[in-house]
Amino acid sequence: MPSWSDFQPFIVSGLALGGIYALSGVGLVVLYRATGVLNLAFGAVGAMGAFIAWSIIQAGAPGWVGWIACILFAGVVTLGYGLLFGPALAGRGPLVQAVSTLGLALVLFGAIDLLWSTSAGQSRSISFPTDNGGFMVGQVQVNWTQVIALAAGVVITAGTHAFLRYSKLGTAMRAMANDREITATLGVPVRRVEASAWFGCGLLSGIAGILLADLAALDDTTLVFTVVISSLAAALIARLRSIWVTFAAALVIGLVHDLITPISSLTSYQDMTPFVLAAIALLVMSRGQVMTRSREEG
Amino acid sequence: MIDTAGPKAPATTGLLQRPDRRTLVRATVITVLLLLALFALPPLMTGYYVDTMTQVAIYSIVTLGLGLLVGRVGLYSLGQLAVLVIGAWVGARLLFGTGQPYILVLIEAGLVTMIIGSLITLPALRLRGLYLALITLMLAGAVTVVLATLNFPNGGSGFSGYNGSFLHIPQIRRPSFAGTDPAYYRFSVVVAIVMFLLVFVHLRARPGRVWATIRQSEPAALAAGINTTVYKLWAMALASFVTGVAGALLAGADRELFSIDFPIQNSIELLAVVLMGGAFALSGAVVAAFLLAFLPALLYQLWSVPNDWLIILFGVGVMQVLATAPGGIADQFPKDMKRLYRYLRGRLRGPAPGAPGAHAAQAKEGETA
Repeated sequence: MPSWSDFQPFIVSGLALGGIYALSGVGLVVLYRATGVLNLAFGAVGAMGAFIAWSIIQAGAPGWVGWIACILFAGVVTLGYGLLFGPALAGRGPLVQAVSTLGLALVLFGAIDLLWSTSAGQSRSISFPTDNGGFMVGQVQVNWTQVIALAAGVVITAGTHAFLRYSKLGTAMRAMANDREITATLGVPVRRVEASAWFGCGLLSGIAGILLADLAALDDTTLVFTVVISSLAAALIARLRSIWVTFAAALVIGLVHDLITPISSLTSYQDMTPFVLAAIALLVMSRGQVMTRSREEG
Repeated sequence: MIDTAGPKAPATTGLLQRPDRRTLVRATVITVLLLLALFALPPLMTGYYVDTMTQVAIYSIVTLGLGLLVGRVGLYSLGQLAVLVIGAWVGARLLFGTGQPYILVLIEAGLVTMIIGSLITLPALRLRGLYLALITLMLAGAVTVVLATLNFPNGGSGFSGYNGSFLHIPQIRRPSFAGTDPAYYRFSVVVAIVMFLLVFVHLRARPGRVWATIRQSEPAALAAGINTTVYKLWAMALASFVTGVAGALLAGADRELFSIDFPIQNSIELLAVVLMGGAFALSGAVVAAFLLAFLPALLYQLWSVPNDWLIILFGVGVMQVLATAPGGIADQFPKDMKRLYRYLRGRLRGPAPGAPGAHAAQAKEGETA
């Protein structure tokens, strides 16, 4: 059994990972509540953005141009999908809408593989200037990127909370989460509110993509699926409802995932963490469910 | 197209009733096509296409299982490829570890997969649609992780049957009567036919009608006194069984299995082609298998198109199908053909018969000529 000091560095990296999952999870939950669409292309959009950023930086541009390009690309693509397919699929139920976003994920995944082929065997990476600097907590080295990742998670969760509570647009989103029809009747521009939710979710996926490309790896499978599965697990534990529960669950998932690393017998199974945690949570929560109520919620 | 959900579908006594003309025509067409596939095709095809068609036959069983879940019961499973992997793993392990007859191994692999598949999805079955889809997506991810560690059996000893230091990996055996590629192709087609019949019988009997009820409205099914969990589990078990059989069949077809050949995106591709092919008709499963296994092989052979283009195509296809044609190709193609036929007939005969002025116009043309 590894000693406590073996685990310490992984608390830091786990919290950083958890921060990214948290902001992704919040993006998923807000979009789902506002539009009824669970955006399973979240990871793919961020991944493509990260690859574009890599190409831009590789071409000699300064780093921040690449990062902004990544975030903007993610926002625009997600918004474009929302404008095109949001109305077309409205009223078809959450399941069909979620599966349709998988189509977007496939398109982007194929495009990434085509444009940034892995067959050449070259390894790509994105690094921030904050990777090198840092400080010590006890005996553990913490770099600024990890701080940024966790801070981004906290700030975005808190910011979203404040946004939903105090801003006019946020109030409109909450109203739509409760009842779309009544909200429309009250004169809220439903389409415009939905579009801003799509754009915001896209921006978050871009942020998650670029951060994860640095902290984890610039690899399409990781970026497309790991983010979605982990943040989805967090969102599921929160029943796609509370952003603070999503935040907490995301931190736990990130922590557990990384803390398993020193335990050699479990290391190779650490990527199962989100699945196991979400399955347990769903099992516990599905007890005593009433079938005949709230068909629309599921 | 076998449209078992159609209004003309007879009740359980249907087998004794005199079939109507359409059913007879359909049955004849299907039989002829199957006979062609079994006997006329193999001598005409090169080895490359024999292998491809074997894959089509095997994957048609997989898409059949997923189509059953999606189209009949309304369970969107994203973990069906994981179920196939379980079947292939069990099949390969049994084929290496025992000398049992091949057919027995197929059935055993199906049964083991059925038990594992049902157990895994049992907690999710109590959840509603979206949650089931998400939990199966995570299941697909989890199985990918386990498989990367466990690897497929390659003739080693122990539970996993994997030996990483083998230089020459022994091949997975085939049945004595289907040792060659064309023979194994025929064998796969026959197994696929049996699986289709198994599902067909289910759809025609009580389970099929109950599943249709559940798909329409689960609360209504509950109110009608149906134990929805049992029937959903039944559907999942049946789909897992046929998929497990397909997995064991795949083990013999590929002869060497590698975990890298089953990446997680294939799970999503699988659902995409099932939706594109058409989840509401059994023929949709065949269309889906052709999309998944034949189209990439054909395009690669002709113009060496990389598989990534196919992934993009399936992505666009699934969005298009969901937005405009929920019935998929199996539903849309005959309609489009009918429309085309009507259009062509209209063009050939001039304005529609009976339309005012049609005769007059023709008569006038005759005069001027």
